[in-house]
Formats: sequence, C-alpha cells, structure tokens
Amino acid sequence: MNSSDRQVWRAFVQLADTLTADFDVIDFLHTLAEHCVDLLGVSACGILLADHTGGLNLVAASTEQARLVEMSQAAEGPCPEAYRTRMPVSCPDLAAVRERWPDFAAAAVSAGFAAVHALPMRLHGEAIGAMSLYSARPTEISGQVAELGQALADVATIGILHERTLRRREVVTEQLQKALDSRITIEQAKGMIAERFQVTVGEAFVLIRSYARAHGLKLAGTARAITEGRLTITRPD
Amino acid sequence: MADRAIGVWLSIAARARSEGTTVGVRHAVTACGEAIGAGAVLSMSGSDGSHEPVFATDPRSDELEDLQATLGQGPSAEVIDGLGPVLEGELASSQALARWPEFSPAAVARGVAAVFAVPVGVGAARLGVLSLYRDWAGPLSRDQFNALLLYADAVLMLALDERGGLAPGAVDLVGEGFTERRAEVHQAAGMVSVQLGVSLTDALVAMRARAFAEGRTISQVAADVVARRLSFSLPDYSPRGWDAPPGEQADDEHREGGE
Repeated sequence: MNSSDRQVWRAFVQLADTLTADFDVIDFLHTLAEHCVDLLGVSACGILLADHTGGLNLVAASTEQARLVEMSQAAEGPCPEAYRTRMPVSCPDLAAVRERWPDFAAAAVSAGFAAVHALPMRLHGEAIGAMSLYSARPTEISGQVAELGQALADVATIGILHERTLRRREVVTEQLQKALDSRITIEQAKGMIAERFQVTVGEAFVLIRSYARAHGLKLAGTARAITEGRLTITRPD
Repeated sequence: MADRAIGVWLSIAARARSEGTTVGVRHAVTACGEAIGAGAVLSMSGSDGSHEPVFATDPRSDELEDLQATLGQGPSAEVIDGLGPVLEGELASSQALARWPEFSPAAVARGVAAVFAVPVGVGAARLGVLSLYRDWAGPLSRDQFNALLLYADAVLMLALDERGGLAPGAVDLVGEGFTERRAEVHQAAGMVSVQLGVSLTDALVAMRARAFAEGRTISQVAADVVARRLSFSLPDYSPRGWDAPPGEQADDEHREGGE
C-alpha cells in the first residue's frame, strides 16, 4: 500500500465510522466533500440532492463559496445533466461549454474554476442527486480518479439513505427530505448570523461551523438551535 | 421541472373557480386530497408544540386528525415534533401498531389503511402539517410524494399570504410558488427575521408582501436583502401582531388564515 492508498483507506474507514456512531447526514456530507478534495486532487467539491420540484440543491460543499451555491442553482449544467442521464459528465475546459450552459459556465469561471466533473448519485437505478468536482485549471480527469470519485459518490448516497433502511422505500424518501430541510435551516441560520454580526453569509457559515466544531456539536443541530433562539454564538474578534 | 408545479397550481385554481372564490388554503388542501385519492387535513402548529386541525376535506379525516392532536400520537403528531415527513403505507402492520398503539387501531377501525404527513414550512419556518388519510394500503409513488410536497408548498405560500393580508390570483402564484427553496431566500429570511425581530415565518410573510406590492418575486427581493440593497424596518410592519422573535416569548399563536 503506498501513501495515497493509505489515505484512501483511511478516508473510507472514517466515513464508515460516521455511519455507525451518532450519525448526522449534513456533517457526514461535509466530511465527504473535504475528503474528495484531498483524495481526488480537485479544488472544490459540492454535493447536490434533487428536491420534489426536480431542482438540485447544494446540501454540502468543501468550501461554502457563495459562487458554489449559485452555480449549483443553475437549471442547466453538468450536474443537472449527470442527474438526469445518471451518467458522469465531464467538462475538462469550461470555456468549451459557454454556449451550451452559459449561466453555469459564467458563474463557474468567475468563481475561478476552469474544469468540472459531475458524477451521478444513484441508487437502484434511480438518481437522487449529483456530486460536482471543480478544478482551478483545465484538466481531463483520469480513469482512476473518476472511478474513485464515483465510489465516493456511492458512499455519499448510502450515507444519506442509511444502509440499514434501504429496503423500505418510504424511509428513503423521508431521509432525503430531511437532508434537504436541514440544509434550508442552515441557510436561515447563516442569514440570522450574517445580519446580527454584519458579515457576509459565507463568513456567517464559517462562524457557525467553527462554533459547532469547537463545541463538538452537529452543524444541522447548531443551525436549528440558532433559528429557534436557543443558542447565541458570540462574535469572534 | 416547473411543469410539476404548474399542474399543481392549475388544480388548485380549478377548485377555487368551481366555488367562485379567490384561491385559498383550503382549495390547495382539497386539490391535494383529490390528486392523491385520500382525505386531506391541514393542521397548524405553534412553537410550543401545539397541534390544531384547521381544515379537513371529510369528517373521518377531521376526527382522526383531532385524535392525533389529542393523543400527541400518530404520523402528523410526529411531523410536528420532528424534522421531516412521516409516511406509513401499512397502518395495520405490526410495526405501525407498535409505533402508534392508540392511533393506528383507531384509524384502521375507521377504514383507513395508510397515512402520509408532510410539514408545511421550510427549514425552521414551520406553519403546520398536511396529512392524507387513504383507504388502501401501499406506499406513495415517487410522483405522488413529489406532488404531496408541491401541494404542501402551495399551502405554505397561500397561508403566508393570508397571514400577510394578501390575496394574489392563482396566476401570480404560478411563477412564484416554487422558487422559494433557493438558498438566497432562506438566507434573506434569516436576515429579515433579525431586522424585524420576528420569527422566520413572519420574515417570509414580510418578504412575500414586499414582493407582491412591487410586482416582483420573492427571489428578487431576497437577492436585494442578501446584497444589502434592501433592509426591512419595523414601522412598516409592526401592527399586524407578528410572532415574537424566537427565544424572547414562547407564545407563537397562529391564526387561521382569512384576513
């Protein structure tokens, strides 16, 4: 086993561990997004889930750049395509897709990205969302990286849906909806903190996340406590 | 993707037209029950965990929802306590009987085989629960579940507007209704709730009211709020009996719509 293999092995062990203990889907997906960046050598990773309107929603990301959120909301682009076709979509050079997906390409380029690779998140032949991998430089993704990326996307899918409950379709549906709703609560908490401290929503996210980590709390639970007025985080100097 | 939403709004508008009135919450509840082939009930919830049925399409559903509210037990009661939808396609199964030992037998005795309950709200902004009581067993299809969530969105929009004293036509709502899941809308709702010192729900009411008054969408208003081109202040919004901000006063009384 070389050092990179060992890193992959450690990542899977850590993710498997998250599945058993005190599980929280949003924290799990954030951890996974960070692993993707480290292991796949990309600049950013976003995890998107489809909602009942058919739109994709960013539920976790390696970096919470406002631009990443914005890109994820584009109705057309590699992620919606990967979700619809249930196949990977590769854009080694975003300049080449300016005509095909103008809104997405413009947002991605202005955020400093040059290439994107979108992987479907599939379960039993149905897609539940997509994982997006962004690179700052134009680049083809190697077969090995694509394979590892898809394995991580599959782990994400299983993590969201809880392995043990996959047999019951209704529980799957309930889990997905809960993950989407937790994400909305995080956005609301970001807004409250942004206004209270007069910072950007991106900075507000960092404050909430740092608070959660420093106190050993889950991100979603921390956000909920903020929205319910049960938790006041202090402004760092 | 908007097609799904348009079909839902058209069915709601058709209900209102058949009654010769403007579109309201109960039309959305009725159309939802018809679309899925079940009795439908809307209950409002308070931050104190209260559970108050406000509209039912039929007496049996009304009675069973009341029973859930009284017992604090059943799918709708769990939606009010918890975070997400509760779907039970086999109410007579041993699992469901064990999960709700008083509610399940009572519902089965009245001929109900499946109950599906989803929150009416977004994130921490919660208004209540939309519940379906169906005669036959089996899960909802994915399309039916998506439709149920779209109807719950419609109920939310209509309830927010009734609370804000607005009565938009169905046409205004078609373009508006299903963009509210965008991240910016939720970030802006958080900001406005702090600006006005009101609940997230009332922040959404204020944003909807502003959007309606200016002939814009809530997404456009939200973009201005997040970019700090627009901020809400109390004098414009104080007299309507807003909810207390969370944590300051627990009393969160939801009025039944109909301003």
